[in-house]
Amino acid sequence: MLVDYLLLDGHDPFIIDANVPEGHLRSVFPGRTALVDFDQVQGQMTMFDTILGSLGRDYVIDIPAPQSEHFFASLKELNFAEEATRVGFQLVVLFIVDKDFASLNAAEDVRAAIAPNLLIPVRNAYVGSVLGSAQNGLMIDMPILDREVMSIVEDRRFSLRAFVLGDESRLSPPASKKLKIFLLAVLSAFGDIEPALSLSRLKNG
Amino acid sequence: MKPTLILVGADKGGVGKTTVSRALLDFFARKNVLTRAFDTENPRGTLKRFYPAISEIIDLGNVAHQMKVLDTMETANVPVTVVDLKAGNMSYALDMFDRIGVLEAARAGVFNLGLFHVIGPSIASLDEIAEIAKYMPGVNYVVARNFINETNFFEWDAATQRKYFAAIPKAQEIAVPKLNEMAYEQVDLAGVTFKDFIDNQAADGSPGKFSFVLRGYVRKWCSEIDEQFAHVKLVQDLLTGGRAPQVQ
Repeated sequence: MLVDYLLLDGHDPFIIDANVPEGHLRSVFPGRTALVDFDQVQGQMTMFDTILGSLGRDYVIDIPAPQSEHFFASLKELNFAEEATRVGFQLVVLFIVDKDFASLNAAEDVRAAIAPNLLIPVRNAYVGSVLGSAQNGLMIDMPILDREVMSIVEDRRFSLRAFVLGDESRLSPPASKKLKIFLLAVLSAFGDIEPALSLSRLKNG
Repeated sequence: MKPTLILVGADKGGVGKTTVSRALLDFFARKNVLTRAFDTENPRGTLKRFYPAISEIIDLGNVAHQMKVLDTMETANVPVTVVDLKAGNMSYALDMFDRIGVLEAARAGVFNLGLFHVIGPSIASLDEIAEIAKYMPGVNYVVARNFINETNFFEWDAATQRKYFAAIPKAQEIAVPKLNEMAYEQVDLAGVTFKDFIDNQAADGSPGKFSFVLRGYVRKWCSEIDEQFAHVKLVQDLLTGGRAPQVQ
């Protein structure tokens, strides 16, 4: 959804999908996705050297939960955040905080380790979260989406972008309405990221 | 301050002796300690490829070359001289230095002398220590176990350690940590120092195009090896100029 939002907003993101071997994102966004095995040095090189070698573009990195700790530890070890900032990137981390307090602690560990420009907690209503409503700063809420609608959306032949731009042919009217309510919540929150980044820049000089 | 002569030797090839020499030279460069180096792997020494400005290839059996190293220690205006001994020739070199009075001069305090003895992974390496122990009085002796290729070393129990180090009571030990193979290969291919690789600087001084990830691995490795070197008394004395650390 984030990639679709960026494309709709006129950006040209490149995706790095670390979900080997499945590579779901690569099947949805062929031609602008690299599938990398982050456990291998070659995969790490593909990821970081690609980003640092091609500046001026947005990058979306999708890290599966089991690799999250290793990924952020590598980021810290390699001083990636510092180098990325030096060459003009802003680092935004979207971290799903579930019902386990360990995930909240993990999010804070990430914030402490790499000091991103923004760390945005994400609450997925489908799995639940330890996070309450009263949070300082930006938080993204993903409402529950009907299973039937979700299965259509997850089909790689379905284009969220096309739907947002008016093509509702693949969904029944009720399903279409449910998806619109869902997207309104999520895409609105994505729209708050850029202002939050600007505010962060102002605060930190 | 007295000049310092550091020998790096091994009694067999392939244990990473030159890597240890390079790591030492890199360490001193990063600590801004002026150093010069002599590579005795005549005629095809490796050090000169990485440190062309401060290295020379010599034949330690040649008297003129011995003079080049030893007679200039005080006049070279460089506090540290590193000599990378030819693989398999460590005992020969120590014997020669003993015969020409180098070891005696060190014991008399004319200069500081250190030996980094790079040993192999098998327990037979311990016999090398016994063989050279007689030369070590007055020498800062450091055993270097090289894990750069993740070699499985024999484990020393306390009794074994006591037995072999009984003759060299002030011996110290360092472990050269593992470095990712690809990172090591790329540094080698680039023909630059570890420091220059980290700084993304090519051999001709122009900006390099080295992998950020591999530079990160080398940076981490250098930081780990710095910790090892920093424990060596000879190195501590060099960094503090021979002064005792100030008590805070």
